[in-house]
Amino acid sequence: METDAGLSGRTPSPTPQEALAALAEAERIRASTTALSATPWPLWFTIALTIYLAALPLVYGGVVAEDSWLLPHATWWTVLMAMIAVFMASFAAAARSWRQRTGVALRLDVLPKRATVPLMIGAPVLVVGSAWAFRFTGQVWWVVVASAVGAAVSVGFHLAFVRLHGRGTHERAA
Amino acid sequence: MTARKPADPAAGGFDNLVHAPNRLRICALLDTAGEAEFGVVQEQLGLSASVLSKHAGALMDAGYVEQRKAVRDTRQRVWLRLTRRGREAYHGHLAALRAIIGQGPDAEPPPPAVRG
Repeated sequence: METDAGLSGRTPSPTPQEALAALAEAERIRASTTALSATPWPLWFTIALTIYLAALPLVYGGVVAEDSWLLPHATWWTVLMAMIAVFMASFAAAARSWRQRTGVALRLDVLPKRATVPLMIGAPVLVVGSAWAFRFTGQVWWVVVASAVGAAVSVGFHLAFVRLHGRGTHERAA
Repeated sequence: MTARKPADPAAGGFDNLVHAPNRLRICALLDTAGEAEFGVVQEQLGLSASVLSKHAGALMDAGYVEQRKAVRDTRQRVWLRLTRRGREAYHGHLAALRAIIGQGPDAEPPPPAVRG
C-alpha cells in the first residue's frame, strides 16, 4: 500500500529485498517508456526522409561540381535550398504529429550511442566527402554510392525503431 | 512557493518523497521520457487520475516536477517533466537503493520485475 510517510517524516530504510524490488520496478518503467519513446516516425515521413538522404549527396555533388553537371550551378543551389526548406517543414510537422500521438517528448537519444554517434559523424562526412571526391575525380559513382548508403541508413534506423518499439510493446503485453 | 526538502541528508541520496512506489514510478517514467502528457503517465502506470494528481502534486510541491499546459484538439492537456532538482533527487535515490543492496552507484540496474 502506498504511504505518505515521505510527506510527513522519515520512513525506515528499505531492506535489501525492498530496495531490489524498487530498482527492478524503476527499470521496468524505464524499459517500457523507452519503447514508447522509440515509436517509429509516420510512414510518410520515413519515405520523405529516405528520399531526402538519397537525394542530398547527388544535389550537393551538383553544387560543388567543378563544371556544370546536368544542371547549372545556380539551379543546383536552388534545388538544395528548396529541398532543405521542405525537409525542415516536414520534420516540424512530423515531430508535432508524433508528440501528439505518443504523448511524450521527442528524444533523439533513444537508440544506443554506438549507433547514433557514428551516424552523427558519418552522415556529414558521407555527404560532403562524396561530393568533393566527385569534384576532384569526376567519377559520379562517389555520389551515387553515398546516395544509396544514405537511403539504406534511413531504412535501417527506421527498422531499428520498429524493433525497439515492438520489443517493448511485447514485454508490456507479456 | 517554497519547496520542501524531503531528502534526508543522513541517508545519503535516499529520498523519502521519491521512495513511495507510485512516485518512484512517476519519476522513472519522466526521467526516461523527458516530458509526458498526464494521460500517458496515467495509462503507462495504470493509475487513476486522482491518484496521479495527488502524487504529481506532492512532487510539484517539492520542486521535483513541473507542469506545462498545452491545448490539443480544443482540450487543455497537462504535460509533466522532472526539474533538474527532481532528476538529481531521483538519481540520488537510485544510487542509495543500489548502495543498500550492495551495488556501486554506477552498477547495472537489476532486471525488470515481472508483473503478475
